[in-house]
Amino acid sequence: MRPARAPPGCGRLLAAGLRPLLGCPRPPPGRGVAGRWPSPGLRVPEAAEAERLVQEARRAGGPLRRFIACPRLARTVQRCLWAARGPQPVVLECGPGPGILTRTLLNAGVRVVALESHSAFLPNLQSLENSLDGQLKVIYGDFFRLDPLVTGTVKPPAVCSDKLFEAMGVAAVPWRADVPVKVFGILPQKKERNTLWRLLFILYECSSIFRYGRVELNIFISEKEYKVLTAKPGESRAYQALSVLCQVGCEIQLLHMEPWSSFVTNLKNKGLAVSKSMWLPNDHLCLVRLTPQRDLFSEGLKPTNSATFIFMVKQCLAKRKSRLTDRLNSWSLDNSGQLLKALEIPTDVETGNLYPEDYKRLFEALQNCSVFTESWFHDEVLESIRNINL
Amino acid sequence: MALLRLRAALLGPGPLRGGGIPWSVLRTYSSVSAKEKARRNAVCERTELLEVLKARVKQLQASPGPEVTVSKAELAPLGLGRQQESPAPRQSTASPAQPSSWVEKLKREMYVRQAKVERKLSIAASKMTLVGQANAKVKVKAVPSTKVKVKAVPNAKVNVKAVPKPKAKAKPKAKKMPKETKAAAWSQSHAGPSSACSKPEVVEVKQDVKAEKPPNVPEKRESNHQKIMQQTIQSNLECLLCLQQPEEAERLLLLYHSSPMKRKLLTIGAYNIVMRSWARKGCLHRLNRVLSMLESAGLRPNLDSYAAVLECMGRGQACTKIIWRCVQQLKQDGFHVDELFQKCLFEGDEKETVLRAIRIVQPDYQLPPAPKPQTCKSALLNNFYSKEKVVSYPKLDFSVQELRERFQQQLEMELNSTITIQSVESTKPLTPQALRARKQLAALRAQWRGAILQALQKAKHNMSQKRTMSGYNSLYPYLCLLPDEEYVDIMMQILNTLSPQGESLSVLARELGSKVYDRYLTQRKLHSRQLEKVQEIYQDYIHLLAKDSQPGEYLPREYWEKLVAEAGYGPSLRLKDCSWPYVLLMRLGVYLLEILVHSVKVPRNTLKPRLESRLIPVLYHIYSFRSSWQVGLIKPHPIFSQLMSDAAETTLTFSSSVMPMLCPPIPWTSPHFGAFVLSDTKLMRYVDGAFQHQQLLDQCPQVNLHPVLDALNQLGNCAWKINQPVLDIIISIFNDKGNEKLDIPPPLSEAPKPPVSPGNSSAWHKSQKHELLLCKKKAAEMHSLRMDALYKLSIANHVRDKVFWFPHNMDFRGRTYPCPPYFNHLGNDVTRAILLFAEGRPLGPKGLDWLKIHLINLTGLKKKNSLQERLDYANEIMEEILDSADRPLTGRKWWMNTDEPWQVLACCMEIAQASRSPDPAAFVSHFPVHQDGSCNGLQHYAALGRDLIGAISVNLMPCSVPQDVYSAVAQQVEEFRKKDAAEGLKIAQVLEGFISRKVVKQTVMTVVYGVTRYGGRLQIEKRLKEIDEFPEEYLWEASHYLVRQVFNGIKEMFSATRDIQHWLTESAKLIAQSGQTVEWVTPMGLPIVQPYYRVRSTVLNSNMQNLSVKSSANTNQKPDTVKQKNAFPPNFIHSLDSTHMMLTALHCFRQGLTFVSVHDCYWTHALTVDVMNQICRQQFVALHSQKILQDLSKFMLKKYCSPSKDSRAPWQKKLMEQLSNVPETGEFNLSKVMDSTYFFS
Repeated sequence: MRPARAPPGCGRLLAAGLRPLLGCPRPPPGRGVAGRWPSPGLRVPEAAEAERLVQEARRAGGPLRRFIACPRLARTVQRCLWAARGPQPVVLECGPGPGILTRTLLNAGVRVVALESHSAFLPNLQSLENSLDGQLKVIYGDFFRLDPLVTGTVKPPAVCSDKLFEAMGVAAVPWRADVPVKVFGILPQKKERNTLWRLLFILYECSSIFRYGRVELNIFISEKEYKVLTAKPGESRAYQALSVLCQVGCEIQLLHMEPWSSFVTNLKNKGLAVSKSMWLPNDHLCLVRLTPQRDLFSEGLKPTNSATFIFMVKQCLAKRKSRLTDRLNSWSLDNSGQLLKALEIPTDVETGNLYPEDYKRLFEALQNCSVFTESWFHDEVLESIRNINL
Repeated sequence: MALLRLRAALLGPGPLRGGGIPWSVLRTYSSVSAKEKARRNAVCERTELLEVLKARVKQLQASPGPEVTVSKAELAPLGLGRQQESPAPRQSTASPAQPSSWVEKLKREMYVRQAKVERKLSIAASKMTLVGQANAKVKVKAVPSTKVKVKAVPNAKVNVKAVPKPKAKAKPKAKKMPKETKAAAWSQSHAGPSSACSKPEVVEVKQDVKAEKPPNVPEKRESNHQKIMQQTIQSNLECLLCLQQPEEAERLLLLYHSSPMKRKLLTIGAYNIVMRSWARKGCLHRLNRVLSMLESAGLRPNLDSYAAVLECMGRGQACTKIIWRCVQQLKQDGFHVDELFQKCLFEGDEKETVLRAIRIVQPDYQLPPAPKPQTCKSALLNNFYSKEKVVSYPKLDFSVQELRERFQQQLEMELNSTITIQSVESTKPLTPQALRARKQLAALRAQWRGAILQALQKAKHNMSQKRTMSGYNSLYPYLCLLPDEEYVDIMMQILNTLSPQGESLSVLARELGSKVYDRYLTQRKLHSRQLEKVQEIYQDYIHLLAKDSQPGEYLPREYWEKLVAEAGYGPSLRLKDCSWPYVLLMRLGVYLLEILVHSVKVPRNTLKPRLESRLIPVLYHIYSFRSSWQVGLIKPHPIFSQLMSDAAETTLTFSSSVMPMLCPPIPWTSPHFGAFVLSDTKLMRYVDGAFQHQQLLDQCPQVNLHPVLDALNQLGNCAWKINQPVLDIIISIFNDKGNEKLDIPPPLSEAPKPPVSPGNSSAWHKSQKHELLLCKKKAAEMHSLRMDALYKLSIANHVRDKVFWFPHNMDFRGRTYPCPPYFNHLGNDVTRAILLFAEGRPLGPKGLDWLKIHLINLTGLKKKNSLQERLDYANEIMEEILDSADRPLTGRKWWMNTDEPWQVLACCMEIAQASRSPDPAAFVSHFPVHQDGSCNGLQHYAALGRDLIGAISVNLMPCSVPQDVYSAVAQQVEEFRKKDAAEGLKIAQVLEGFISRKVVKQTVMTVVYGVTRYGGRLQIEKRLKEIDEFPEEYLWEASHYLVRQVFNGIKEMFSATRDIQHWLTESAKLIAQSGQTVEWVTPMGLPIVQPYYRVRSTVLNSNMQNLSVKSSANTNQKPDTVKQKNAFPPNFIHSLDSTHMMLTALHCFRQGLTFVSVHDCYWTHALTVDVMNQICRQQFVALHSQKILQDLSKFMLKKYCSPSKDSRAPWQKKLMEQLSNVPETGEFNLSKVMDSTYFFS
């Protein structure tokens, strides 16, 4: 695969001289609702035109991607994103591609930062940006290659979150404050699972984008992954470590379900490339809102020890039929029975039947237990970090 | 019918018949014809059952208590509780009139047991998923028909039994249904009158099931599944035979026999094992019952069955008449008494007992003479085997007495199964800390041994308890084979060698399982007197090799066979096949591992006495996540690792089979016998679970294997010794700080230290974590390198004063390898440098020159120069050479900056000694001189295709200076580039000045072995990256361009090569697509099969984790087309280069040379280099004068397109076309190779 190269002059986009979007907000002109921009009245291209744009971009190569091409779907998404009243944060649109949703959002008066990783789409978006008066900011970068672990300089389209937020003009807010930024994106299918893991990991660590507060994610994910994220204890196969961590970490709302066929791919044959699913239904893409829990770190769980929590949950759920006490015992906790009794968890419970909240309570109780913090466990945690952060 | 007669003959009208069972009745225990059955009266049926189960009845009567509770426990869930209250008939004899309740009880018991066994088997026998699903479907479908039967016929018991039980534990849904039905059927059966005459239904239900089987269930898979089940059953039976528990063995056999579905799993081998166990006890009437079962299963007794019967008669002092009838029957079945002694594998005193029995009826019977040894007819070896040119076998410099003593030492080492040696680190002074740690460790180990022993005994006790209840537990017999302490030893060994990073559960389980298996084999060899016989033969065999004895005109194999024949030991000294299925090995391993993990504990405050004292486990089970899959690991607690590293123990314990042998290896005489005295060694190495190779070797006429066996014996008989001065220098550096440049891995203390930062690791910065991870990774790598070097050097140091041997075996392509894995001449520069031939030869007139040329070859300095120029250069730098030899560590250190520094140093020392001796020609040298094939794969291709340009560039043509194929390809590529650059191609212009030999070398080398463009690009990219001036942004494009040009260049230069490669690939593709595996036979007669199949894995359940066991190979599995296709050309070429090597080895032996090889690098004494070179060329010409490709084509056409097969299939036609279309050859004159100096140099 040929590495995509930066188009000439795109470095300029991240230059510090940019006018921040929120830093010095212009007074809202005229009739607009507070926090909203007046509708620029942009023409939203029809689906066929968007499809053509995608196909043109395909020739420049790049991995499989999915786009919103149909104006109707774009309006639905826009409404989903914009349900609440009051002052609205900026929307970070990841991979807008032909810009159908971008225009719909702009027409609705939303401030948008478009983060596009494919250089073929950039000229179009940039001319749109220039035609507006600061309502749209276009940045060259890939949201799904945020803050790579490799040392050295970050080559675009990989981006650094601090550079990104600086360009967006969004400052960090405390965890318990309101949502500073809304993110919208369609998870890349090939690394969907990995991306979810990564997002959860930075969420628990309060790093990367979550350093700026409880960033709200509005993402299209495949139905099977949605089923996993929201699985209940005892649901065989679906209930996994990912389910526990997601349910503990975020409030999960299903905003909308849309059949796969409504999206356009950049494949040669215009195929849908729906990933196979053996056990779970997978007929839709689900628009899911993940809002980080306000009181996630109010008890014993802290960003500093959350890696251990993730590790613990993964170890427990590697074999869902194993007994919780056996797992705990294998970590040198011989008084696990007492501990479970104190937490009012049945001692013979299988790890696949324990509720997410209970995992959190268990971990918080374990924090007080000296054995748990002995060195070997941390070595392992570190290894697992590497594997998640790939 | 024959069998019936046999059995009638055996029993005759004599007392045995008094048991009261007419044979005709017993025969019907099977289910030949339903109609026939229906006609039989109930009394007969009852009697028959009674007879079969008589023993169990007696047992029941003897101990009614536990049995009843068992039934309760087991059957209560099925709603059968009330049955137990039924008055248990306590009449001492089960009269034929009222056997029903007993029979019922027995049947129920059997059913429960059956279910148990089935469940166990479902785990043990691998193939489950698809077959299991298909089966499950069938079962559910079969149920309604059973129900109908239940209503129609009042006693549904047997019906129910016939309902196949679900085999897969993993299919809970499928399982439930039949179970419920069963329960229902059961309760119904009690309502109705019970009688045992329900056989016809059994058959019918069985037929129903068969009929309803969906047609798309591939029979092949089924048989595949069966194969492993069969293996499992047989090894279970073997196990019980070994434990001398014929009752148990028979009970197990009966379990399968009595179910029509499972009876299919029983082969004649299974029945024979049970017969042998009764024969060993001399219980003729019990053996007879097995015979009746055998007959009812529709199987015919084979030679082994007769052997067992006769053995039993010999032991039991049966009357003449019976023996006479048996012998008559044997003859009527088309066997001959002599065959018993020619073909059967006897153990212990079986043979003598059979002979005794025969001599009762034929008092003057004489053992048949041993068959005449056959001679291999291969055209390539006509000369070699012709009796006219026999030479005596080269003698070793040992007397018979010395060799016998060495054999005793070797035997003792193998009997101990492990050996503990001093590590080379032992010379270091001990710190007080180490002393303390050792003391602690010793105390802990004593505790652990106790704890493990206790846990093991408890586990066994529980199992045996359960066993009396449920009748059967599959692993139990395997835990009884060895004394408990040996299991503990094995587990302690695992604990002691566990690395601090941990090890994957499956690796450990495998190791544990196979260690138990190895010791079990040793035990069997001891008990079956096999060892005794080997010892006896070896005492005489030594005469062939010792300097002070006579016989000579034999090869080692021939001599050994002659001695065996003279001693009258029958076909060979091998054991009956008793291998354990891979899945079983794993289950046993996991079970032992669980015991280990649970029982080994250490006080938490061992290192920090401040902490409260509490026991924590030493080992813990943890998952490691690799993207989408997870691996279970067993890791030691850091306390344990710390203790181990503090103690710095200086002893190492190895399995005796990793040590070089202290006496000449036992010659290979068959695929099942050779190499070590006790340790089991395979002639052909293969992946776990693959049995195709073994099968193929067994099927081919043994005489065809003689050349291969002789070549392996020849390589294994080379005696070695240690180059002590070099070893001492290496150890001194190893014990100092190591030296990465010289390939001596530094100790862990030299590892990079991670930045120390306070507080919780989670609070660290990203880059800190990254750095820490890098440090950890580096440390782990260093640890494994260091340990590897430690093993090698310690073994070398252990044998520093001894002469030793490396027994050889081969991989499936015939490439040979020394069996001991760590320390051998195939190792790296360091290990090669410390090895010398034990035998010394004077240098002779040209020897010193060869040493000097060899030295320059090792430095890698004058590759493009002629031999004379290399020699001149060596003479030029003589001063450097002597300086290196005299002051290796303090002088100018010329040797350190060469390609193979340690071998260079060793060679410098040899040259120094030789040149300083008064008469260098008489100087006795032990030094091996190497001759390397230049790009050996391409040499074979060029010869196959008689490709002129190719032949020139790989030195098949005589030339004054060596040709360098890599430079030639680089030149060709450069030409392409120039052309493209002139045409304005950007990347071609960028590449100007960057194309060199080095850039293309790796790719050219590996093209022969099937490297793809993808892999080739990565190789080239790596090389370009190493060039600092190369602009990074063009890396991808440049490597992409270059790999294309390299392939084009090779195509241009080796046109025939590419054609042949293509032909091989396409043929393999079509063969694999037709669902078959690629097979061929080397010109030397070795049959080869490519063991690449689509992997299917089985889930093995254990308490710790579910383990996915890859059962990689099975006869009926579908081949992996991609692998079959891509691997065929390289494998075929490897089979040719191995043939060339073996031919050279055999002919070198005829000339009295010492010869060993590292694949395409041949070693001999300096004196004999010229002779070896000549033989090597002769044999290359001889080999390629065979019509290799035509023969291959013929063989494959016969194998895959034989007219008997459905020739109308379209693939068949295509395949036939492809196979017949052998590539054309060029005009290279092969005989030119004879004069090519640089062919091997």
